[in-house]
Amino acid sequence: MIERDVSFDATAYSADAIQRAAYRFSDRLSLDLQRVNGNYVCTLRLKDDLADQANDVLADFRNEVLDQTLRERIRSETEGVRNVILALAFSNTGLTEPSE
Amino acid sequence: MSKFRLAEAFSAASDEWELLPFRFERFSPERVLVTNMVGEHLFLTGREFDDFMGRRLPNDSPLVRRLRAKHVIRQPNEQLPLDLLALKTRTRYRRLPMFTGLHIFVVSLRCEHSCPYCQVSRQSEDKASFDMSEETARRALDAVFRSPSSQIKIEFQGGEPLLNFQLIKDIVAEAKLRNLEEGRNLGFVIATNLALLDDEVLDFCGENDIYLSTSLDGPADLHNRNRPRPGNDSWERAVAGIRRVRETLGADRVSALMTTTERSLDRVTDIVDCYLEQGLREIFLRPLSPYGFAIKTKSFAAYDADRWLAFYEEGLEYILELNRRGLDVTEIFAAIILKKMLTNDDPGYVDLTSPSGIGIGALVYNYDGDVYASDEGRMLAEMRDTTFLLGNLHENSWEELILSPALLEPLEQSFTLSAPMCNECAFEPYCGADPVYHQATSGDYLGRKPVSSFCRRNMHIFKLLLERYESDPFAREIFLGWAGR
Repeated sequence: MIERDVSFDATAYSADAIQRAAYRFSDRLSLDLQRVNGNYVCTLRLKDDLADQANDVLADFRNEVLDQTLRERIRSETEGVRNVILALAFSNTGLTEPSE
Repeated sequence: MSKFRLAEAFSAASDEWELLPFRFERFSPERVLVTNMVGEHLFLTGREFDDFMGRRLPNDSPLVRRLRAKHVIRQPNEQLPLDLLALKTRTRYRRLPMFTGLHIFVVSLRCEHSCPYCQVSRQSEDKASFDMSEETARRALDAVFRSPSSQIKIEFQGGEPLLNFQLIKDIVAEAKLRNLEEGRNLGFVIATNLALLDDEVLDFCGENDIYLSTSLDGPADLHNRNRPRPGNDSWERAVAGIRRVRETLGADRVSALMTTTERSLDRVTDIVDCYLEQGLREIFLRPLSPYGFAIKTKSFAAYDADRWLAFYEEGLEYILELNRRGLDVTEIFAAIILKKMLTNDDPGYVDLTSPSGIGIGALVYNYDGDVYASDEGRMLAEMRDTTFLLGNLHENSWEELILSPALLEPLEQSFTLSAPMCNECAFEPYCGADPVYHQATSGDYLGRKPVSSFCRRNMHIFKLLLERYESDPFAREIFLGWAGR
């Protein structure tokens, strides 16, 4: 097992984004996440057969955390409008029971 | 007054724009796929995507127009994109309120074939033990007509269902009688190896508008090795049967499905050619399912997702090449996905729907009255995993079957809009929840997607189809035709 630490500034990144990224990489690595002095410290354990590519995997992981942060932003910016669209879509299906 | 408004009337009324719900996936650092809420897509370069997310796009840039046209952004307070997205969302889910349309009757588990990968069949002459009784069939019909669906298809399966042909005749007669009052759009299919096809069966199918669905694995040597039977003549009987049905009932009345085994993997062009020789222009290049004897005999483990993907890609390329030569041939798996990608319709293919198609898309009435949420759920039960057993027609009411935790829990837990990784995946609108597959391969309804071969296979095919659609004008024409079928 190859062990590496990577840290992210907790004011710029969320634990959720880091965990989502780690989930996507769970075929290649496992994650221990700790908060230390305003940073998220990720202890990443890579499978031994990835020894040659460890730096590439870690760089990809960092990029994935960035992408997850973007996805988080998109979700939060569009949550209201998404609910409006779903309400419009299903308001006329006869699936909802009239309230008493 | 002019009937045409000036160009300015169509330009953005505001310098502002805001995001609509969308998802993205990087194909490479230079190529980013963006899909909107209903799966309509566009590709951006890495630079364009960065400018877009960094809000550095000038309002008059062509990219803003493209993003707006694809409902990825809107102007503040603009209502039309919301109405259109709502309409398209409703169209995508239009099948849901209809509930179960496909009802599978396993009229016998007996079969005269002994295929090593078959999940369910029995080599037995014991009719009493493995044939559906009239009482069970009546109760199954009660269940069929409790479904609110206006479209009802009854499919007879086995084993080999023609070994219990009398019951098929009785069920068809009774269903048609009940339908005089019900007024549903009622259809029938017999899934048969055609080895027992005779004039009586043909006449009956002709009189009752019954479709036949059969198995054809490719050339004779491949098919007969896959499907042993006394006389080793499964292929000859299947091919003769296909010809007879086409000549007697019409070319569209019989379709064929192939089962992929390890031996198929380097034979894809032979398989496609075999279909063409039989006059069949639709080919479904299917992966081997991870159920029943297939996994017991290690047929499933014998090849991994990557080998199957190479087989699929070669087959798709060959089918496109045949189209280029003027032959109208369709690969069905691609056609199902392309309909989801390029239209707002959903063909309702059980493996590629979310909520999952189990129960909602199909119900299976086993010979002994057990009711399963899908045919694969029945196969899993043959491996002593009764997770998807909803109950029994002789013991449970319709309400108990449909509200069974064995149906509701996997539906809820596998729903892709809340599943980890699926909920943020740009391909989610094309994909599906397949709780039965994941139960079979990982022991839970959801699976871990990074190691799921279902996820790996589907992502690869989605990327392949999108890349071909974008880069090859001929493939694009063909794909649009398949999507519109």
